[in-house]
Amino acid sequence: MPQNVWSLLAFGDTGWGDELLAGASITVQLAIVSLACGLILGLILAFGRLSHWRALRWLTDVYIIFIRGTPEFLVLLLVFFGLDQVVHMAATGLGFQSGFEIPKFAAAVAGLSLIFGAYASEVFRGAYLAVPPGQIEAAMACGMSSSQVFRRIRLPQMWRFAIPGLTNLWMVLLKDTSLAAVIALDELLRQAKVASEATREPLLFYVSAGVLYLVLTGISDIVRHRLERSAQRGFAR
Amino acid sequence: MLRKLLTAAAIVAIAAFSAGGAFAEGMTIRIATEGAYPPFNGKDAAGNLVGFDVDIANALCAEMKDQCTIVAQDWDGIIPGLVANKYDAIIASMSITDERKQSVDFTDPYYSNYLRVMAKTGSGITSIDDLAGKSVGAERSTVASQWAEDNLGRSSDVKLYDTQTAAYSDLTSGRLDAMISDIYPAYDWLQSNPGYEFVADKIDINDKIAIAVRKGDDKLREAFNAAIKAIRDDGTYAKINAKYFPFDIF
Repeated sequence: MPQNVWSLLAFGDTGWGDELLAGASITVQLAIVSLACGLILGLILAFGRLSHWRALRWLTDVYIIFIRGTPEFLVLLLVFFGLDQVVHMAATGLGFQSGFEIPKFAAAVAGLSLIFGAYASEVFRGAYLAVPPGQIEAAMACGMSSSQVFRRIRLPQMWRFAIPGLTNLWMVLLKDTSLAAVIALDELLRQAKVASEATREPLLFYVSAGVLYLVLTGISDIVRHRLERSAQRGFAR
Repeated sequence: MLRKLLTAAAIVAIAAFSAGGAFAEGMTIRIATEGAYPPFNGKDAAGNLVGFDVDIANALCAEMKDQCTIVAQDWDGIIPGLVANKYDAIIASMSITDERKQSVDFTDPYYSNYLRVMAKTGSGITSIDDLAGKSVGAERSTVASQWAEDNLGRSSDVKLYDTQTAAYSDLTSGRLDAMISDIYPAYDWLQSNPGYEFVADKIDINDKIAIAVRKGDDKLREAFNAAIKAIRDDGTYAKINAKYFPFDIF
């Protein structure tokens, strides 16, 4: 390497270390906010698919088929650049002066949680169905109402069944945040690209970004392990 | 390739919706650049946008007496962002192509790309004709390789490489007598490889680089055209040019 690696990765105005960490921070923020919104959306969609109303089942089916059947990149492009236009048209249609612009971060979260929600709904649906019917029957036989059965029997166990699938999706989400570079969000991978072009040291910066992603997924794995252990308590192996 | 197709599809979809805001006087002009293509547009380690495109953008704004903001925008989303009205112009070393003309309008060019031949200093090659019988390298599937095959295919031994780097290493090892490439990356390489030089005249391939604006935004396009002409005439352009290249790139 022609230049000292540590001076290139230094913090402050001479090195790129602070830019990379700022990128990692945006990546983490994006992923966590999208996870929260996506989980809520996923639950709603799962119950939509399990609903007794045919129209609702059909609607959620179409949504999930659309999202799962199109590349993430296309969905994000449409949300990032299309949502603004829809809002703009609606506002001018209603007679408002429209200077409105969806903040970049919000647009990215919207796109990522729409995708996460669609996949998570299938995990939730699987988890819902994984609760043994015998337990539900037993609870009913004890005289519980259907909302009590849901609260006391289904929900606590759904969580246990859903964790492996959800943590998997979380890992995918963490890496999908790199797609947000198309709307000029300076997330980790984009910062690595800018730094590598500016310094002509692509290997150094892409490897550094890779290490940071590994640190993030490594931490996620520890959290997953803890969550699984706490969800498994009471279940002897 | 898939990304390119998807981006194109998104542009069409967005354009169908697009409200197509036009530029009006007294407005702040929002300009996008890529920020990952030095020395034309890049970032310094403090995170500031720097480079030829950025300097030109600032000079044009000063000339037009307008307020400008310059933002960095990744290349994949740079045209969709313009169409979706996230900014008003792209000054990011974008070549005028027929494909792009379908989604955006271009101003007059503010610089041009040429091909140049490089050889060892003192090689005796002084014109394109001198390349006859010599081995000439270029990167595969580029404008340079196309030109070399079309024009030197019969007279010279044209060798194509998968990467520019591979061609450079054969030039330095002596397996190539000369190499053809886009002028700017070649100039950059020559800076760190003394002992090699440009030979023969530059080859005009009609690759013009211009500012992109939304379709139909004629007022802004005309304003940029007038400003480009003005900074060419008053020497501002030459000053910026000299900061990056010792030859006229217009």
